[in-house]
Amino acid sequence: MGPRNIFIAAVAVTAIAFGTWLSFKMASPPPVTQVATVFPVAGELPEFSLLDHNGDPVGRDVFQGHWNLVFFGFTHCPDICPLTLQVLTSAKNQLAADGFTALPRIVLVSVDPERDTPEILAQYVGYFGNDNLGITGDLTELLKLTGGLGIYFEKAAGDGENYSVNHAAVVLVINPDGQLKALFSAPHEAENFVHDLPIIMSQQ
Amino acid sequence: MKRVIPVLILALLGCACSQQSAPLVASDVVVSKPMPGMSMTAGYLTLSNNASQPIIITHVASPQFESVEMHESVIEDGMARMYPLGDLMVLAKSSVVFQPGGKHLMLMRPVGQFDTVSLDFYAGKAVVLTVNVALSD
Repeated sequence: MGPRNIFIAAVAVTAIAFGTWLSFKMASPPPVTQVATVFPVAGELPEFSLLDHNGDPVGRDVFQGHWNLVFFGFTHCPDICPLTLQVLTSAKNQLAADGFTALPRIVLVSVDPERDTPEILAQYVGYFGNDNLGITGDLTELLKLTGGLGIYFEKAAGDGENYSVNHAAVVLVINPDGQLKALFSAPHEAENFVHDLPIIMSQQ
Repeated sequence: MKRVIPVLILALLGCACSQQSAPLVASDVVVSKPMPGMSMTAGYLTLSNNASQPIIITHVASPQFESVEMHESVIEDGMARMYPLGDLMVLAKSSVVFQPGGKHLMLMRPVGQFDTVSLDFYAGKAVVLTVNVALSD
């Protein structure tokens, strides 16, 4: 075999290899989430009028411009709520360490507006990170938001100020257009968010 | 002197045995500092019963908090709920684990400034275990 034939054979082998790789890559299914439920069509949020942790009025457009991880809880919750916020913070830190730049914002919507004033929420959400958002306010307005998202909560029995609140444990993912894009069901693990969020956030 | 040494050895062994066979032992004890603005925090630990009889913890108290309650968080049908635990039985030769997302101590309304928390576990009127732990961040 002469040099010319060797060259042609090498080109042919390279072309076949490239074609095989390309067809394999094109046939590969896109990455899938391992825990999160992703909605094929993002859902609109209901209208509401509440307060952020600075006491400023906020409506559904407060979610726009960011990816948001939204948890419904309360500051007098000693276990599940701080645990969930720690998981979300840990996931966010891991994403940052992995070089992910469009980090989601962590949002706590209080289901205990009776005790959770903006001042208390500010200290609470600030403990987990400077760019976190707390939302509280009038119960009727809160019910517009939670009802429109299928989030259930109820005040549990207790004495005076010493009561608990049962609440949905999901974490909602709201996209920068302010639409519901996905949800994570409890129990929450940081590695699930680290795995699934880049997939969800690539589907805007 | 020959008689004294075995007696001393036996006495030392006796001390060691009584330490190991303390009926109720706590390990992995964690009490976090209350978060800013919060008047409560959670405590976690493992209670191990070395005795051949069950031990029933009826309540827990601490000089550093006005109230301490034993609670359990559960996720039921997607809802996070918290139930107060009544009497807590630690079966013979068994352990009960208090951990995030499960059983926990809810410590409410701190009294003054402190770095260490003392927890008294009661069986009725008797304190069956006292645990001292430094507050963690």
